[in-house]
Amino acid sequence: MSTPVSVTADAPAEQARLLELTSAGRPQSRVWVRLRTHPSALVGMVILALYVFLSAVGPLLLRYDPVHQNLADAFLPSSLTHPLGTDDLGRDELIRILYGTRYTLVLGFAAVAIGVGIGLPLGAVSGYFGGWLDLLAQRVMDILLAFPNILLALALVATLGVGLQNVIISVGITSIPVFVRLVRASALSVRELPYVEAGRALGVPSIVVLLRHVVPNSLAPVIVQASLQLGAAILIAAGLGFLGLGVQAPTPEWGTMLGASRNYIFSDPNLATFPGLAIFGAVLAFNLLGDGLRDALDPRLK
Amino acid sequence: MLTYVIRRLLVAIPTLLGVATVVFSLLRLLPGDPANLIAGPQATPESIAIIRHQLGLDLPLWQQYLAFLGRLLHGDLGISSRTGQPVLQEIAVRAPYTAELALCSLVLAVVVGIAAGVVAATRRNTGADLGISSSAVFGVSMPVYWLGLMLIVVFAVRLRVLPAAGNDEGVASLVLPTITLALFSMGLVARQTRSAMLEVLGQDFVRTARAKGAGRRSVLIRHALRNALLPIVTTIGLQFGTLLGGAVITESVFAWPGMGRLLLDSISARDYPVVQGVVLMLAVAFIAINLLTDLVYAYVDPRIRYS
Amino acid sequence: MRLRQRVITLLMLSGLALAACGTGGSGQQSTTSGTKHGDTMTVAIGIDPDTLDPAAQTTTTAAQIVDMMAETLVTMDSNGKLQPLLATTWQQASDGMSWTFTLRSGVKFTDGTPFNAAAVKFNFDRLLSPTTFKSQPGVLGGKTGIDHVVAVDDTHVQFFLKSQFSPFAAALTQTNSAIISPASVNVAPNKPEVITQPVGTGPYVFKERVASDHITMTANKNYWGTKKANFDTQVYKIVPEAASREALVKSGGADVVVAPPANDIPALQNDPSVHVILGPSDRTIQIVINTQDSTQPLLQKPEVRQALNYAIDKNAIIKTVMFGAATPLSGPMANSVFGYCQTGNYNYDPNKAKSMLQAAGASGMSVKLVSPTGRYVQDIQVANAVAGYLRDVGLKVDGPGTVDWPTYVATYASVPPALAKTDLHLLGWAPAYLDASQSLQQFYSTQIPPAGLESSYYKNPQVDALIAKGNSGTDQNQRAQDYCNAAKMVWSDAPWIFLYNQKYPFVTTSKVTGVTGLPNEKFVTTWASPK
Repeated sequence: MSTPVSVTADAPAEQARLLELTSAGRPQSRVWVRLRTHPSALVGMVILALYVFLSAVGPLLLRYDPVHQNLADAFLPSSLTHPLGTDDLGRDELIRILYGTRYTLVLGFAAVAIGVGIGLPLGAVSGYFGGWLDLLAQRVMDILLAFPNILLALALVATLGVGLQNVIISVGITSIPVFVRLVRASALSVRELPYVEAGRALGVPSIVVLLRHVVPNSLAPVIVQASLQLGAAILIAAGLGFLGLGVQAPTPEWGTMLGASRNYIFSDPNLATFPGLAIFGAVLAFNLLGDGLRDALDPRLK
Repeated sequence: MLTYVIRRLLVAIPTLLGVATVVFSLLRLLPGDPANLIAGPQATPESIAIIRHQLGLDLPLWQQYLAFLGRLLHGDLGISSRTGQPVLQEIAVRAPYTAELALCSLVLAVVVGIAAGVVAATRRNTGADLGISSSAVFGVSMPVYWLGLMLIVVFAVRLRVLPAAGNDEGVASLVLPTITLALFSMGLVARQTRSAMLEVLGQDFVRTARAKGAGRRSVLIRHALRNALLPIVTTIGLQFGTLLGGAVITESVFAWPGMGRLLLDSISARDYPVVQGVVLMLAVAFIAINLLTDLVYAYVDPRIRYS
Repeated sequence: MRLRQRVITLLMLSGLALAACGTGGSGQQSTTSGTKHGDTMTVAIGIDPDTLDPAAQTTTTAAQIVDMMAETLVTMDSNGKLQPLLATTWQQASDGMSWTFTLRSGVKFTDGTPFNAAAVKFNFDRLLSPTTFKSQPGVLGGKTGIDHVVAVDDTHVQFFLKSQFSPFAAALTQTNSAIISPASVNVAPNKPEVITQPVGTGPYVFKERVASDHITMTANKNYWGTKKANFDTQVYKIVPEAASREALVKSGGADVVVAPPANDIPALQNDPSVHVILGPSDRTIQIVINTQDSTQPLLQKPEVRQALNYAIDKNAIIKTVMFGAATPLSGPMANSVFGYCQTGNYNYDPNKAKSMLQAAGASGMSVKLVSPTGRYVQDIQVANAVAGYLRDVGLKVDGPGTVDWPTYVATYASVPPALAKTDLHLLGWAPAYLDASQSLQQFYSTQIPPAGLESSYYKNPQVDALIAKGNSGTDQNQRAQDYCNAAKMVWSDAPWIFLYNQKYPFVTTSKVTGVTGLPNEKFVTTWASPK
């Protein structure tokens, strides 16, 4: 992704604002303050909070089973008892969307966790040590990057099989290269720093350098990327569901619900509208949050 | 420069080999016996065995791999298990459709994206900027498959002005798929352009040019945009890959007879040779685009010299 | 000023670029959109035919297209009865080991070469040859099929078989027996191994094909038959989405479409601008039970399996899930099949089911159910409904799980008993020609995987004997009796939860007529005409 660019107000006014806020009492991290006053980030966080809240509270209020079918009630339009109507098997659409939030969030976080968990160490080691390890890692990343993301995920899922677990693994693997690249770039720059060179000359163990300098240095872009990657992961996972190769029915995953709705697009377009809207909202939230994080963590404003 | 290009091409070879091997292996791990599948429910074990032999699947795996590589070196992508036609032909028939879709989407995304990004950057923090930035972030958050379906519902079903699928109505058929595919890239290019322009506009040489009395617009185009072009060009190059990937889903939603459809159908039919061929072709296209992007880079920015 | 000029130039250039995109490569300027004067008939199908080579046919969708161009010796009418086509009469020899067919004379292929016994021999030799790509002789090959073919003279062909196979003439109605011109296999783009443009004797001639998009045929002006094609051109468009197909028939973009979304069928039936035809089909849909189940041994007991049959309300499923496009099974095969007889009735009786389960010690047992998605009409929805009914009688049902079709075939439908991975799986079975020998393959223990696709692993030596007797018998009445006796035993042993015989829905606009359905899920557009 691009280098972080500050698009917020000019520095002096910014600092004045920060002063005002922090002097209000408790010491607050500059980053957090910037984040919670950033308009996009705020919107993103609110949306996410809403999703989490609804997915926790909704099932308590709306006592429907998201999986059990009731054929007599199929294709009901929106009503007070069924705010979003029912689907082709008579299940309440709203409750399925709310339950779907859990699957989506789990999918996203787990996949990005794989991406960071493997990408960060690999990128750090590859960038810092260089040599044949770096060469090999780069070639492998090239191969992974030679496939457009969705195709790689498709190929992996087709091989590993469908279902939640394999979707997480497949999407996780597609997330690795971007983190490797990011951390590697950071490691390369850290490697050249004078005090790091000095440390090496003095015999400081590499692992210490890696943990105390390389990793923290790359943390900011990684965090920003992680948020953006969450959005991307959700899009890909839902895309697999849409193609019927992701999480399988009757599990209420939004992408799978969207794919199943294609048959009913003329008779009941609602079944296509709401799962897609849910996906859109979640991805939007993570993108906005990522934007906010990028600005908040911008080193130029330190 | 020439050595750089040659070196890049040489490096591409092991990458392509890696891609080919990965695809070959992944396919063989797929559950589902192509011979069985192709033979259908009424087939006798004898005809299944004959088909398996015709497809070369009764050979040991390493022999299949070597045969695959051997053919590859001659530029032969094999024969489709599904149709019996050369894979290259199957791809060649469909590639123009995908290329058309991807190119039109790219043009749309670039033209609208750059224009929007420039406007947003020059009118920073105004209503126009907010509108454009919001639209852009909406664009990159929108699932391609959902957008396609919604457009079909609105324009093909409710309003009946555009066709719902296929491509036999000329330009009209192209409208919805192109918009669907382009939206993500449009948003991305707009965001990228905006941030690159802002960065450039804040720099000293711009202020210097303004101080020297250069008109605002000329500064914009001649100085700012040209310098901002670098990251924008990178993005565009990367977008082509995204577009190829997004084309797979778009073609599925709109029944567009391109390579994406071919890929999905071939995976379902366990048509190994075609899947291998399509993925390889896409990887080659990808690598070529990346190389081209880097070369355009060097052309645009005289400071960059490859060796 | 200058900036504005540049911006305008830029915009114009982009506009040109976009316009160039629009008129590039693809736009098939066909005559199909909306113009029907008896000129062109447009048919929308859901899958892209893999091949148009008669010898390699496996799907009815592709086969019905080939049928329009290449004809068989014998054909099936809409009642499933055999009718002469390229052959006028046929006779089984008294020892049952050979058949002699008298061919129609004066018929020519559309490339001008004559249709004769040599051509017939050529085609069957090609069908049985291992070099023909993906050749599918089916019952005509293998250990029981054709041994060799002799062209006795120009109008007589004799088939020598390896066994006494009584439904031979019926087997020749399949598209893999369609006759193409021997000379044409060497004319590009055809190759002897793969035919892409079949040259036959039929009422239509191949015109062009754009892969994944459409196939175009034009009327054969020199067709030998008295019936004439009423449309100069027929275009088969490939539209994978059921909803898009429905949109096409409603807007008039297609005259006939196959399989609209099932839930829209009632609305379409009330729409005066279209005509819904629930075509007859020989396809049965059932829940196959693993009769040799080791993880759930209770399923090995016939009483338990019968109980499962009583637990399902088939009529309700047909009404609310299939939207009326099916009839409940009253035997282990469709009633259009030769050799069918009514064998019993598992009416919906959940209480009886519960008490039978209890008596067998199977109350509350766990079962795993899997189903494909999108392979058959409403398959996963039906499986969901079945799971619901099973739960209602106290069973614990895991599923219905689903995977994509190739994986499904590989994992559930074609594995030997030792590798079985599920207790129950949904499957459809459609004989290629309407003879019980085909239907009963699903209960013939010689067909247990990997030898065949008998995925219930049902093994009953008495049934096996009756089936073998029926397959080789020469007296048709005796054959029917044998099959009936076998079917009765199968019905009470209940290796399946017998669900329904699905209909094959297709929709035409009200402006065309004469589209008929054949009982093997083909629909014939050949003789359609504008209203």
